[in-house]
Amino acid sequence: MSFLRANTADEAVQLLAEGARPIAGGTDLVVGARQGKAPLPQNLVAIDRIAELGVIEATESHIRIGSGVTHAQLMVDPLIVDRLTGVADAAALVGSPATRNVGTVGGNIMNGSPAMDTGAPLMALGAVAELRSIEGTREVALTDLWCGPGRTTARPDELCTALLIPSPRDQIGSAYVRLEYRRAMEIAVVGAAACMALDAGVIVSIRLALTAVAPTIQEVTGLDVLIGERADDKSFAAIAELARDQAQPISDVRASDHYRRHTVGVMAQRAGHAAASRANGDLITVPVNRALGIGAAS
Amino acid sequence: MNHTNVTLRVNEVDYPISISTERNLSGVLRETIGLTGTKEGCDDCECGACMVLLDGQPINSCSYLAVQAEGCAITTVEGLADGDELHALQRNILEAGGVQCGFCTPGMLMSARALLDRTPDPTDEEIRIGLSGNLCRCTGYARIIDAVRTTAVELSN
Amino acid sequence: MQTFVRADGPDKVTGSGRYVADLSLTGMLHAKFLYAGLAHGRIQNLNVEPARNLPGVLSVLTAADVPDIRYSPVIPDRTLFAKDVVRFEGEILAAVAATTPAIAAAAIELIEVDIDPLPVVNDIEAALKGDCLLVHPDWEGYDVSGDTVRDGNVASFSSIEKGDVEAGMRQADVTVTSRYVADASHAAPIEPRGIVAQWEGEKVTIWTSSQVPYDARAGVCETLGLPSNRVRIIVPHLGGGFGGKCGFHFEAHIAALAKATKRPVKLVFSREEEFLAPDRRREGMVVEITTGLTNDGDILARQAWVGIDNGAYVADAAFFPQLAAMHVGGPYKVPAIKIDAQLIYTNHQPSGSVRAPTAPQACWALESHTDELAAAVDMDPINFRLRNVVRTGDEGIAGQIYEEIGLDRCLQLATDSIGSPTLADDEAIGVAVGWWPSFAAPAGAYAKMQDDGSVQIITGAQECGTGAVMTLRDIAADELGIDVTDIQLVYQDTAAAPTGPGATGSQTLLNHGRAVESASRQIADQLRELAADELEAAASDIVLGDGKAFVTGSPAMSVPIADLAATAAGGDLLLSSASAPMPDWPTVSAQCVGDQEMAAWLAPQFSCHAVRVRLDADTGVARVVEVHTAHDSGTILNPVGALGQVEGGVMMGIGQALSEGTYYDENGRQTNPALLEYKLQTMADAPPITTQFVEINTPNAGPRGSKGLAEAPNVATAAAISNALAKLVGGPLRQLPMTPERVWEAATEIRGRR
Repeated sequence: MSFLRANTADEAVQLLAEGARPIAGGTDLVVGARQGKAPLPQNLVAIDRIAELGVIEATESHIRIGSGVTHAQLMVDPLIVDRLTGVADAAALVGSPATRNVGTVGGNIMNGSPAMDTGAPLMALGAVAELRSIEGTREVALTDLWCGPGRTTARPDELCTALLIPSPRDQIGSAYVRLEYRRAMEIAVVGAAACMALDAGVIVSIRLALTAVAPTIQEVTGLDVLIGERADDKSFAAIAELARDQAQPISDVRASDHYRRHTVGVMAQRAGHAAASRANGDLITVPVNRALGIGAAS
Repeated sequence: MNHTNVTLRVNEVDYPISISTERNLSGVLRETIGLTGTKEGCDDCECGACMVLLDGQPINSCSYLAVQAEGCAITTVEGLADGDELHALQRNILEAGGVQCGFCTPGMLMSARALLDRTPDPTDEEIRIGLSGNLCRCTGYARIIDAVRTTAVELSN
Repeated sequence: MQTFVRADGPDKVTGSGRYVADLSLTGMLHAKFLYAGLAHGRIQNLNVEPARNLPGVLSVLTAADVPDIRYSPVIPDRTLFAKDVVRFEGEILAAVAATTPAIAAAAIELIEVDIDPLPVVNDIEAALKGDCLLVHPDWEGYDVSGDTVRDGNVASFSSIEKGDVEAGMRQADVTVTSRYVADASHAAPIEPRGIVAQWEGEKVTIWTSSQVPYDARAGVCETLGLPSNRVRIIVPHLGGGFGGKCGFHFEAHIAALAKATKRPVKLVFSREEEFLAPDRRREGMVVEITTGLTNDGDILARQAWVGIDNGAYVADAAFFPQLAAMHVGGPYKVPAIKIDAQLIYTNHQPSGSVRAPTAPQACWALESHTDELAAAVDMDPINFRLRNVVRTGDEGIAGQIYEEIGLDRCLQLATDSIGSPTLADDEAIGVAVGWWPSFAAPAGAYAKMQDDGSVQIITGAQECGTGAVMTLRDIAADELGIDVTDIQLVYQDTAAAPTGPGATGSQTLLNHGRAVESASRQIADQLRELAADELEAAASDIVLGDGKAFVTGSPAMSVPIADLAATAAGGDLLLSSASAPMPDWPTVSAQCVGDQEMAAWLAPQFSCHAVRVRLDADTGVARVVEVHTAHDSGTILNPVGALGQVEGGVMMGIGQALSEGTYYDENGRQTNPALLEYKLQTMADAPPITTQFVEINTPNAGPRGSKGLAEAPNVATAAAISNALAKLVGGPLRQLPMTPERVWEAATEIRGRR
């Protein structure tokens, strides 16, 4: 077994081409190995100190989140909180403060779990993964990246270097809401992220993605019927209905399929509501779960 | 198994060691370096007993590769006191009655230390969230929260 | 001066305190177990040779390598290693000792094992059916002690019967029948258990994370055929137990490996093993209960059946039926009562004494039922309870007459404390009362005052975190008039101390406390004699305090205790030993079939918990917003420690109420043996808890009129939460834990009925 540390993304992809596998915070990789799910890869390349991967920046067309950005950074970064609020919601809910410190958005995305928290808001915001190898760089929409639980269409020699999110226009709001049985240390039973643009209270655009109700993070289709409608309780109920209809939940130790189907609707409705409020300029602090949820500080 | 030579800096002391790559930091701290104050209560970041600071940030050392910690300042519970002088958190958690079996205490203290370094005047909610990754089965948490609050006031004066 | 900073505290906050997993001995090997992995089956083949041949493996043991002895208190129904049949997934087939944990794990993988699955007895009601196969076909051949009533899959039956229940039900204006089902749960201490064993010559020393060192020693002696004097148990700091580390567990396996290898051997459990292997799961329970009452709200009669999921082996659970029956009867005035309770074998992990065994589940069922009773006669649930709870001088369900007790005051204090806050639409208040016995057991202590005036107390008490052992210092300091910091404890070593029950049944202060009090008092008497000579006064006029002996009324006439100690060191040494005198046991009048001595309660403790709960009706997620408790545990000796016990018990109760359930698949295997899926409450979930103590100086109890306290706070919380939730969803919750999905389903079902 070997362990090497890459100082640049170029070094990292070179090592990946030679068969090494990346490790950032190791929260999924090391835990998985200790639980016997999958052994650690034979050759590891640490990417957690590659400065260029830790950057969040806005260009004219995009917001670019380096894959090495941690959840702890995401949840407080002014640009993310202001413009990609749903992503901040999600990052703030991941695991515990310790997991958020070392867990990265790139790791979350590339692990491909259908229960990942940052996946749904990134999908609702139209994020694209930037994948780099020694052969070059390509961009893959998240809808095309995930192809099953724990599986992606990325090649083993490709490194996710960033998530690119089209710059949201004004009057856009996003939110991520998760069902959690306790107020911390949770994994999504179900979750939903909404991104909505409004014009004078009327829906101009809307996207919705669901967590843990399908083999991958799932985008809800058919929302176009809401465009031109007011962002009101009737629309939020319609969002819930679409989410319930399209969810393909399973039963497991965390919940039954019918409870998941019901609650993903509740989460979708709340995410829609929160996203619309934020699009209207209302302040809902991050994360929505703690700002509006029944677990709010008493 | 390939061994790697690394130097880990723990509580301001350098430890040159040779370890295999897959070893976790808590195991190396406990078994190779000999600092057993860091505890292991699970294997998967679910209890927080193994919490240490890496460059001041709390991490679950059970699920962190030791080799990856090279070059960082590692702080364990053994590094919290100043010589024989207990850190205010240590003193206050004792006086508040926030220690029972003590198994979660080292990890709890490390999370609290990181929280106060980052947020010197935390609200109760910030304390609750900041220490939410550390499970305690004995105390019901109330006295630990009291101790962190008391320490925040004490350190800010 | 009393201080309530724990004597073991500095060790615990600096990381210098050693727990078993922190110990390491030269030449030490590492142990791993091979588990059955399925809930019921017949062993066809077990070939450990490939593991023995793996380099680095020094020993592999199976049933063939240890004495063929069936063990367990009361019902000896198990062996150290499975023989022929496995009856739960965590049953041990083989144990390996190797030079590293990794090699031991690899060796386990090499063992060839072939088990033919047998049908799984997966729930208690199936186990009772006539055609159900028996978990122990040979149950009649077990050499059972005591008055234990058994039959097939019923491992232990008890009943409590008093008065004419049929007549009571006939007279009743209203009868209410309820059924409640509680899942099993876990003690889940944060420290997974560890053991290190080392032989020197004929003697073995075992460091173990046990709550009960003397029971652990007895188990090793019984299963390995050793006399007590060859086994020494030492418990370093113990990382919590909550009953899960009571009893005898794996010490003998590790001692046998150490003997076979002539090396020290260490075992440390993973979290998954901690969930699956010990015989100390909190038992699942079904309660069917009918109560008859008048329109005025007086209880006339109660009839109930309690089924308890014992799991595959009885461990210490033989007394559970009678204890559960007491909790389902409750601390109420019930003129006529008949409760039948059965401990039932299944192919689940064995049940055992987890913090207040049977009580939280049975109290949850009874107190949920009690709110149904109040509703049936249109009474406020608090007033209903105030009308029916037992008070000083009343007769309890088994016919015990209570001396001064404070349950009514607990009820008043806790409900006054929560008051009548303005509740949001999604909030409700729930109230429940609970009770718990104190247990008397033999315990001893040695005390010696050294030449510097400091005192060493040598006790068999076991500190599991509660601080009860730490409080023993305060008792000694108070008796001797010296500073508590001048008292040192020697504890948790069976070679040093006289026997004792250990940290089980909230007994530390009650029993070890009386022994320490008595041993300290003897030295105090000696000091008074010495001071009387020195000060030329009568010994009866000498008072000890502030480190001095002085003449009563003349504090200027004094001599430092340290001086007296120095004098004594040159002559008659200040040494003492004492046993705790056994208290008088109360009597009962009820008929008790299968009596396990659990119907008469010494110094019963009472409590009332009142909670405010908020419910997210769309999801069924509930949060406890605030908790107000009042406890009658007699005199409180260590206020900080006592509050910590209540707060910890409440928090565990919240977990039991909402998020802690053990689930089984159709093959009888646990589906959530991990802390991510078995959810303890976090600090983020912790509500504010206020606590008041009704301090009654209780005669015939612990030192200074104290009773036990560690388990009582774990009794009524889940019940109180249940009663709040029932108000919010419009009807009782029938399953524990009351998970979000179950609450949502109940609410949906109740809405549908309307």
